[in-house]
Amino acid sequence: MGEKVTIEIPKELYEKAQKYIQESGGEFKSVNELVEFVLNELLSEEEEETVFTPEEEEKIKQRLKSLGYI
Amino acid sequence: MVRKLLVIGLDCVPPNLLYKEFKEELPNISMLLDDGYKAEMKTTNPPITIPAWAVMTTGKSPGELGIYGFRHRIKGKYNDFYIVNSRYIKTPAIWDVIGRKDLKSIVVGVPPSYPPKPIKGYMVSGFITPGPESRYTFPITLKRTLEKNFGKYIFDVVYRSEDKDRIVEELWKMTIQHFKIYSYLASKDWWTLMMFVEIGTDRVHHAFWGYMDKEHHKYTPGNKYEKIIEEYYKLVDEKIGELLKNVPKDTVISIVSDHGAKRMKGAFVINQWMIKEGYMKLQKSVGQGTELKDAPVDWKNTLAWGWGGYYARIFLNVKGREPYGIIEPEDYEHYRDELKEKIQRIRGPNGEEWKTKVYRPEELYPVVRGDPPDLIVYFDDLYWRSAGTLGWPTMYLKENDRGPDDAVHDWIGVFTLYDPENTVDRKEKRVDIQDISKIYLETILGETDG
Repeated sequence: MGEKVTIEIPKELYEKAQKYIQESGGEFKSVNELVEFVLNELLSEEEEETVFTPEEEEKIKQRLKSLGYI
Repeated sequence: MVRKLLVIGLDCVPPNLLYKEFKEELPNISMLLDDGYKAEMKTTNPPITIPAWAVMTTGKSPGELGIYGFRHRIKGKYNDFYIVNSRYIKTPAIWDVIGRKDLKSIVVGVPPSYPPKPIKGYMVSGFITPGPESRYTFPITLKRTLEKNFGKYIFDVVYRSEDKDRIVEELWKMTIQHFKIYSYLASKDWWTLMMFVEIGTDRVHHAFWGYMDKEHHKYTPGNKYEKIIEEYYKLVDEKIGELLKNVPKDTVISIVSDHGAKRMKGAFVINQWMIKEGYMKLQKSVGQGTELKDAPVDWKNTLAWGWGGYYARIFLNVKGREPYGIIEPEDYEHYRDELKEKIQRIRGPNGEEWKTKVYRPEELYPVVRGDPPDLIVYFDDLYWRSAGTLGWPTMYLKENDRGPDDAVHDWIGVFTLYDPENTVDRKEKRVDIQDISKIYLETILGETDG
């Protein structure tokens, strides 16, 4: 991810995020990093009703076979 | 008064190993057993990991939950099935119930927990997670924290292999990582319920039972892996000891399994039996180990077929329900009764009597939701698993058709409760899996209405 842009969030939310970062024990260095992580995770999510992608479903079926459940 | 409860779930652990054979070697678990309450835990029908944990944590039967295994047949399809995931559980689990009272939980690897659901607290999904690249924690930021501290989460080991040394190495690696995570999470001070399920106990049984059990047909005295299961239990005990150091002294501690284990005698090739008895027809013969989905089944002349697994699921080919159904709906019960009776009479490879149990789902459950099979079958009271493949020279396989497996599931697991303040007043020798969520809620909340 190259170029950066600026986004605006309410100050109150920013302060909450700062508190979260402090309490998370240094896992996130800044609110920027937290916001980027959460957005990435959110946007990589499949549509609500799709739990497994077809590839994942196949992978799990193979695993269940190798585990003897199928 | 609200009490803290730590539930240590050990998948597949039977009472004879935990309470008797290995007990002396397990100082931490022994303390919990000797100073606490222990019982046999009667598991659910079917005694399979996914429904069993779901029943335990919700207090509902598999019929009410509509969960009969890891997979269900898609209605009207011969070969297509879907994998059960956490979203199929519509009933609140223990952590949801206490969450409504603003009490927080940490739940790790309790099947079926992928995708992880939003709860008051933390949730990490279990071994049916597609992989470490998936979103397997709630909240999502927890995944990052765990990976930073403990590396990529290890969800499972592939144990159906002859490379036993590799299995041992991976089992130890996975379990050590898991317990580091359990200890890390347990050290948070905000939780009321912490529950995790360690799948390694199930895997070590399946991979090594035949090396330990003198009655197993594969057992040879003095073999290299004879003590592996015992060593694994010792590892778990040592890790439980370390974990307990991170838990406040007044925490109530429970060890529980979802089902027991016993030696596998073999696998019964259900669809070859169907062919022999005239219930199934193939258009041409097939090679050894052919999957049902790849077999040229003459569906227009097939009355019934079966699935493999630790129990057999039997499906009838019903007109209007299946694409090429031939059983008239009014004859459905007739064929179901006939099959039930015939399957019950199946004998073993040497003509010996089997204690096979066959149930219609409605005999087992007050309500039957979802996609159950037409019959549920336990060959020889679970000693023989079901093989769904075809083309074998015999109907009785010494080895499982899916690769080496030494153990099958059994009806009795473990349930223990240790309260350092000594308030547990239970006398029952046996606890039903469906009653456990109520016992846990009473333990936490100190009330009976949950």
